[in-house]
Amino acid sequence: MSGTFTKSMARNIFYGGTVFFFLLFLALSFDTNSALPARDNRANLTPAVEAGKKIWETRNCIGCHTLLGEGAYFAPELGNVYTRRGGDFIKAWIKSQPTGAPGRRQMPQFNLTDKELDDLVAFLKYASEINSAKWPPNVEG
Amino acid sequence: MTSSTPTLAQAPDSLPPHAATGGAPPGDLAVWVFIFAELLAFGVFFAAYAFTRMRHVELFDTMQLTLDRHAGALNTFLLITSSWCVARAVHAVEHTRNGAATRWLAGALACGGGFLIVKGIEYADKFGAGISLSTNTFYMFYLSLTFFHFMHVILGMVVLAILAVQTRRGDYRPGHMNGLESGAAYWHMVDLVWIVLFPLVYVMR
Amino acid sequence: MQYKSQAVAKLYFIAAIALFAGQVLFGLIMGLQYVVGDFLFPAIPFNVARMVHTNLLIVWLLFGFMGGAYYLIPEESETELYSPKLAVALFWIFLVAGALTIVGYLAVPYATLAKITGNDLLETMGREFLEQPLPTKLGIVVVALAFLFNITMTVLKGKKTSISTVLLLGLWGLAVFFLFSFYNPANLVKDKFYWWWVVHLWVEGVWELILGSLLAFVLIKVTGVDREVIEKWLYVIVTLTLVTGIIGTGHHYYWIGTPEYWQWWGSVFSALEPIPFFAMTVFAFNMVNRRRREHPNNAATLWALGTGVMAFLGAGVWGFLHTLAPVNYYTHGTQITAAHGHMAFYGAYAMVVLTMISYAMPVMRGRAANSNRAQVIEMWSFWLMTIAMVFITLFLTAAGILQVWLQRFSSTPISFMQAQDQISLFYWLREGTGVVFLIGLILYIVSFFVGGDEKPAQA
Repeated sequence: MSGTFTKSMARNIFYGGTVFFFLLFLALSFDTNSALPARDNRANLTPAVEAGKKIWETRNCIGCHTLLGEGAYFAPELGNVYTRRGGDFIKAWIKSQPTGAPGRRQMPQFNLTDKELDDLVAFLKYASEINSAKWPPNVEG
Repeated sequence: MTSSTPTLAQAPDSLPPHAATGGAPPGDLAVWVFIFAELLAFGVFFAAYAFTRMRHVELFDTMQLTLDRHAGALNTFLLITSSWCVARAVHAVEHTRNGAATRWLAGALACGGGFLIVKGIEYADKFGAGISLSTNTFYMFYLSLTFFHFMHVILGMVVLAILAVQTRRGDYRPGHMNGLESGAAYWHMVDLVWIVLFPLVYVMR
Repeated sequence: MQYKSQAVAKLYFIAAIALFAGQVLFGLIMGLQYVVGDFLFPAIPFNVARMVHTNLLIVWLLFGFMGGAYYLIPEESETELYSPKLAVALFWIFLVAGALTIVGYLAVPYATLAKITGNDLLETMGREFLEQPLPTKLGIVVVALAFLFNITMTVLKGKKTSISTVLLLGLWGLAVFFLFSFYNPANLVKDKFYWWWVVHLWVEGVWELILGSLLAFVLIKVTGVDREVIEKWLYVIVTLTLVTGIIGTGHHYYWIGTPEYWQWWGSVFSALEPIPFFAMTVFAFNMVNRRRREHPNNAATLWALGTGVMAFLGAGVWGFLHTLAPVNYYTHGTQITAAHGHMAFYGAYAMVVLTMISYAMPVMRGRAANSNRAQVIEMWSFWLMTIAMVFITLFLTAAGILQVWLQRFSSTPISFMQAQDQISLFYWLREGTGVVFLIGLILYIVSFFVGGDEKPAQA
């Protein structure tokens, strides 16, 4: 070796490497954005779905459930709940909460109107139709 | 690495400055750490390619024919030539002929630029045909591997350009060539990856 | 203490520890709700407890980072803080805003909170870790910018070292990537895609710059090893971190509707993510072994070494366990994720803040190190918390493996709640070790009030 690895060289590699990989990440993100329309079910992104997403968010559903595997792990996956249970079951379930069964995990009563329930179901239906690369492995989520 | 295989954190500092240990690789250990990390990333990608190809031999063999082998071969030639230029440049500085070294580095840069142009034409052709990462598994690998390498060529050229300026300014001389040797080692790595990539993706069936 | 403005860090550290205690208490509530489902229902439903637990974590770590920066920057820059008054004012603003947010979570239903805080103007709430109401989010931005202004000005008027540069980059990155929390498109896939630009690029990106620089600073202080050596390795480690971690974001893009090439990109690069953590562990032990002085603060050295090891185990090893796409297909969104999250956050971020506090607090209280008695208690708290966290992680991993087996891998999969019932034993064990963790934390707090033969401040 004809010399020692200096701090300034380490610094240059740090800046160079960071810029390099960030640019690569941007390039991949750009490609992802152009590939998304074929996968993200945006054709079915109706006003009802948008309203449903807002219900989903303002009730903090993600605080107990997962959606496409992301969220809390306290209650079932809901990305495919529309496939698993169907719209009518979902509405009936939400309306009948909490079960009050002693010692069992409880879901709050959110007092949603019929329209809000329909919107939420529309959102969950839309979510279930996103191409998630065959995840989850089975209908149980 | 060095024969005494020092631990990661000790090596660069435990070595006396400018120690010209016989048989040790040029450049510095930490540069080699990065080069090995890069080779590891490429290596994993190559292994993934080989593994996936085994499961979709027909698709890969059919799709491989859509690639322009002549362009790939030309690019192989360009990169090997540029690597040779870089080696000549290091040699020239060892004999304190920095002017010649600068010209060799400029030659290496020209070859690198040629590589980018040829690869750019290939990309334009593929993108023009509507091919993207999502077209099929083969193209996912082809574009990922070659584009990852393409960006390495660009980075390597930035390094070479800086080295050329520094060489011309006389920053390097026999015994003080650490930066030049490290940058040269990086460029040889970029070349080496292509020498594996080209037969693997373009030729091997 | 070399510069008297460093003392503002004390406020931040005290707040950080208090919020840490709150986080652990809510963790215990949630742990119990996992097995006694109706515990505290409907007063504190699980989702509220979790929001408080995770938000307190973020806020106390931010307090820790800011306190760390206020302590570190003047000493590195060899000048007084640009504006200590601003630092104190920001402390109270941030503390009050944080407290109001937590009270808001606990006092009113989340939907009401959203309505009264103007979520209709710009919908940003209700996404994991980003549950804060709009005014809180804006407050975080304002506080972060004012804080960055303060420390950047300090660095600009003083000496610029590599440690302060890397720290500044990390903190600026933290502020910049937080801006993506304001982008919440109706398109769920895009929402999730950019949500990770905050979450992943924080914890597996810019936060690691903060972690690296805080650790490097403490190592210089307690080992006396040449700054050139330590700063060089800081650069090597943060380079490896970003080189693997930025594209490593791809390991979150496997199953959320993003193109499938991310399974390859994400797997390849995140498989390399343990490397920087391994380098950090080797680095920490090497520096301590080559120490040129015997610093009297043994507790701080222990925390520094612990950070290296636990960050490697939690972020490196437990991250690698489920990062490859074919494995993640089964483990995504299970207790395996929870196991990794707990040990990684504790090992990397909680511990580095505690390292910084352990080193800086005695100095700010006018001594080089606490008394032996106090240090022994602090070391006990280190071992209790760390070992408890190892077991929490092991129990959650066991729960996760069973969950995957019963609910996803089996040829006759059972439902989520049926699977949860089957693994409740592990949740009980986790709750038990959680109590041990709390005892460790109590001992940690006690160690601040133990007197004895304190080591005098060094000249």
